[in-house]
Amino acid sequence: MNTIKLYLHSMAILIKSQMQYPVSFLLQTIAQLIMEGGEFLAVLLIVDRFDILGRWMPGDLYFFFGMMSVSFYLTECFGRGVTGNFPMLVRTGQLDTMLLRPRGVLTQVLCSAIDPRRITCIAVGVLALILGSRMSMIQWTVWKVLAFAEALLMSMLLILGLFLIEAVFCIYSVKSVELVNALTYGGRSACQYPVDIYPRPLRAMFTMLAPFAMTLHVPAAWILGKPLYGWPTWTVFVCLLSGLVVFGVVYVLFGHALRHYRSTGS
Amino acid sequence: MRTKAYASIFRMNWKLELQYRGAVLGGIICQLVFGLILVSLYRALYAGRPQVMPIETVSTYVWLQQAFFRMVLSSDSDLAGKIRTGDIAYDLVRPLSLYGYYYARILAQKSMGSLLRAVPMLVFALCLPRGWGIMAPVSPAAFACFLLGLMIGLCCVSALENITMGITMRTLDPKGIQAMLNLLMMILSGNVLPLTLYPDAWQKVITALPYAQLLDAPIRLYTGTRQVAEAPGALLLQAAWTVVLTGVGIALWKSNQRRLVIQGG
Amino acid sequence: MNYIEVENLCKSFTVRRKREKGHLFREKTTVQALDHVSFSVRQGELVGYIGPNGAGKSTTVKILSGILTPSSGSVHVGGRVPWTDRKAHAQHIGVVFGQRSQLWWDVPILDSYLLLRDIYRLEENAWKTRLDELTEKLKLGELLRTPLRQLSLGQRMRAELCGSLLHRPELLFLDEPTIGLDAVSKLSLRDFLREENRDHRTTILLTTHDMEDVAALCSRVMVLGHGKLLFDGGLTDLLSRYDRERVIEVSYERETVLSGLPNRCTVTQTGSRYRVVYDPENVSTAWLLEYLQGAGSIRELTAQGQNIDQLIAQMYREMDL
Repeated sequence: MNTIKLYLHSMAILIKSQMQYPVSFLLQTIAQLIMEGGEFLAVLLIVDRFDILGRWMPGDLYFFFGMMSVSFYLTECFGRGVTGNFPMLVRTGQLDTMLLRPRGVLTQVLCSAIDPRRITCIAVGVLALILGSRMSMIQWTVWKVLAFAEALLMSMLLILGLFLIEAVFCIYSVKSVELVNALTYGGRSACQYPVDIYPRPLRAMFTMLAPFAMTLHVPAAWILGKPLYGWPTWTVFVCLLSGLVVFGVVYVLFGHALRHYRSTGS
Repeated sequence: MRTKAYASIFRMNWKLELQYRGAVLGGIICQLVFGLILVSLYRALYAGRPQVMPIETVSTYVWLQQAFFRMVLSSDSDLAGKIRTGDIAYDLVRPLSLYGYYYARILAQKSMGSLLRAVPMLVFALCLPRGWGIMAPVSPAAFACFLLGLMIGLCCVSALENITMGITMRTLDPKGIQAMLNLLMMILSGNVLPLTLYPDAWQKVITALPYAQLLDAPIRLYTGTRQVAEAPGALLLQAAWTVVLTGVGIALWKSNQRRLVIQGG
Repeated sequence: MNYIEVENLCKSFTVRRKREKGHLFREKTTVQALDHVSFSVRQGELVGYIGPNGAGKSTTVKILSGILTPSSGSVHVGGRVPWTDRKAHAQHIGVVFGQRSQLWWDVPILDSYLLLRDIYRLEENAWKTRLDELTEKLKLGELLRTPLRQLSLGQRMRAELCGSLLHRPELLFLDEPTIGLDAVSKLSLRDFLREENRDHRTTILLTTHDMEDVAALCSRVMVLGHGKLLFDGGLTDLLSRYDRERVIEVSYERETVLSGLPNRCTVTQTGSRYRVVYDPENVSTAWLLEYLQGAGSIRELTAQGQNIDQLIAQMYREMDL
C-alpha cells in the first residue's frame, strides 16, 4: 500500500516537473503520434496491398497490432525508469542515491520516471484494437475480457523484464543496448504480427527467449476465435504466465547484479 | 587551405568511429534480427498474394536498408548534447565554419559507421538462400550507379542532419524537434516499410522528397527497379536535393551563428 | 560502545585495460582500493577522513553506506552490516555529496521533502517538526517554494543537507560538502554541522580536501593512502609531526646579495625581497637572523609557520602518496 502511495506521489512530482516545459512536452507528444501513426500506417498499407497474411484477415492484424502497441507503450509510459535510459542512472550516480534509501531499488527506478507523451501511442493502439475488434466481429465474453486484461498485464511484465536485462548488463558494466534492443524493439516489430507466419528459428526466439507469442498471440488468437496452433482454451491462461516467469528470472538476476555493483566516480 | 582542415576532421572522425568495435558488433546483430524479421514478414505476405515485383527485390531492399541503417540514424549525440548545454558557443573559437566542421564530422561518422556494419551484414545476407538474402546487382553498370548514388545519399543525409541540428539550436528544444524529424526520416526513407510497397500513386510523391534520396534511390538502381537508362535522372535528382539542402543548412547555421554571437552563448 | 566498527576491510576491483596491439584479449588487472583497513568510531564523534585523490575514501564511504559490497573484512554500523541490511541501514544514515544532487531538480524543494517523507515512511508530525527545525537553522524558509534548479550553489547545499537530515539519521556522511562555496556559506555550514553534532549526537564522517573544514570541525582525523590507513588521531598531533619548517620573508632597502647561506635553507628571490625556508633543527634561528641583519639594511621582516595545506602536501610527499 505504502509503495503504491509512494509511486503515485512520485508520478505527481514528475508530471509537475515535465509541465515546466509545456512546449517541449507538446512537441514530443506530437512526435510520438507521428511515430506510432507511421507504424500503424505501415500495417494499413500492407493490408491495402496484400489483404491477408496467412490465415489472418485485416481485422485480425489490426487487433494484434493494437495489443502489442498498447502493452508496449503502457510499459514505456509507466516503466520509463527501466525502459528509458538505465545506463544514465548509473553514469550520473542516481543509482547510488537509490541505494542510499530505505526502499527497493526497482521500486525507486520505477518511481524515477514516467513518460506521459506515450499517451498518443497508446491512443493509436486503442484505435487499432477497436478497428480490429469491429472488423473481425469479436464476440466479447467475460472470459475474453479477462484473457485480454491478463494478456496486457503479462505482456507488460514481459517487456519490463526484457528491458531490465539491459539494466543487469549495465551494472556488470557490459554495453549491450543494441543486443537487448534486438529482443525488445525487435520483439515489438516482429510480434505485432502473429508469430505463426515466421520461420522456425524466429518462432523459437519469440516463444522461448522473448515469449511474446505466449503472452500476446496465444490469448489474442483465442479471442479472435482462431486459436494459435489449435491449442485448447486452458492453455491461454497458462501460457500467459510466461510473462511473469521472464520478469521473475530477470528480477532475481537484477538483485544479484546489484550486489556486484561497482559504483564509479567519487 | 580550408579544405585540408575539413579533410583532416573527416579523417580523424573516421578513425574514431573504428574505436567502437563492441557497439558495432551489437548493432550488427540487432540489425540482422530486424532484417530476418522483415524478410520473413514480406515472404509470408507474398505467399498469400504474389506481387509484380519479385520477392528477391523486396528482400534485397530490406537488407540494404538494414545494412546502411546507421546512415539514417542520427549519429552525433555529442553535438546534440552541446546544443542542449549551450557549449556549442565554444566551437566558435575554431577558425572554421561551424557548418563545415560538423558536416565533416557527421559525414565521417555516417560513412565509416555504415561501412563497418554494412560489409559483414551484406556478406551474411549473401549466404542466405535465394529469396531470403540479397541478390547480386542486376548489372555491373547498375552496381556502379548504386555506389555513386550511395555516396550522394551520404552527402545528402549529412546535409539533412545538419539542418535538423540547426533547427534544434534555434528552438532550444532538442528532443521534440529532433525526435519528430528523425521519425519522418525513418518513415519516408523506406526503413519502416520499403517505399516500393507504398501505393503506386504515393510513390510518385514520396520518391521526389529528399528522404527518398538517401537510400531508396540507390537501392532502386541496385535492384533494377529503376533501369540504368533512368540512372542519370535519379542521380541528378539526388544531387539537386543535396545542393539545395546544403545551401539551406549553411544559411541556417550562418544565422544561428550570428544569434550565438549576439546572445553571447 | 563503538558505533562504527571496521575490521580488515578490503576491496579490490578488476580493471580491464584497453586492448593492446598483438593481444587477442584485453588484460585484466586487480586494483586494491582498500587494503586491510580497520578503525572504529564512537557515537557522536566528528571524524575527518582525508587522503589524496584515489586513496579509497569514496570506496570506504560507499561500503559504510551500503552501496558497495566489500571483498573481505567486516563492517558493523550501529550493529548492522550495511550491504546485507541495506534498507534498514539506509533508514538510519544520511549522505550528502558536494557535487551531486539527491533532490528533484525541477520542482520546489518542499515537494522533494514531501516525497522524502514518503520514502522514509516518516510520521507527519515528526516530519513537520524536524522540517521546521531544519528550515530555521539552515535559513531555508523562503526558499521552500523555489525549484532546486533556481537556487545558488550555497542555497542548494543547504537544501541538500536538510533533505538528508529529515529522517534524523544517526550517522551523516559528508563528501566534499563545502566544494565551490563562498566564504560566508562555508562558515555557516560549519556552524550548522557543529550544532547538529552537539544537539543530536549525530556521528559525522567528513571526507574533504579542504583542510580548513577539518581543522574547524574535526577533533580526529584519519589519513588514507593507497588503500591503507596511515594515521588515526588528533589533527594537532598529525600536524606537529610535519610542522618543522619555518619561513622568513625579508626585504632590504637596497638590492642585496645573500650568499653563503647553508644549502639546507631554500632561498627564493624577487627583486630585493627574499623568502627563506629552513628547519630550526638544522639551522639555528639566532644565527640566521644575525646573518640576514648583517647582509644589509632590512626594511621589513616576517616570520611564519607553514599553512595547513603545505603541511598536508608535505605529509603526502613523505608518505610517498
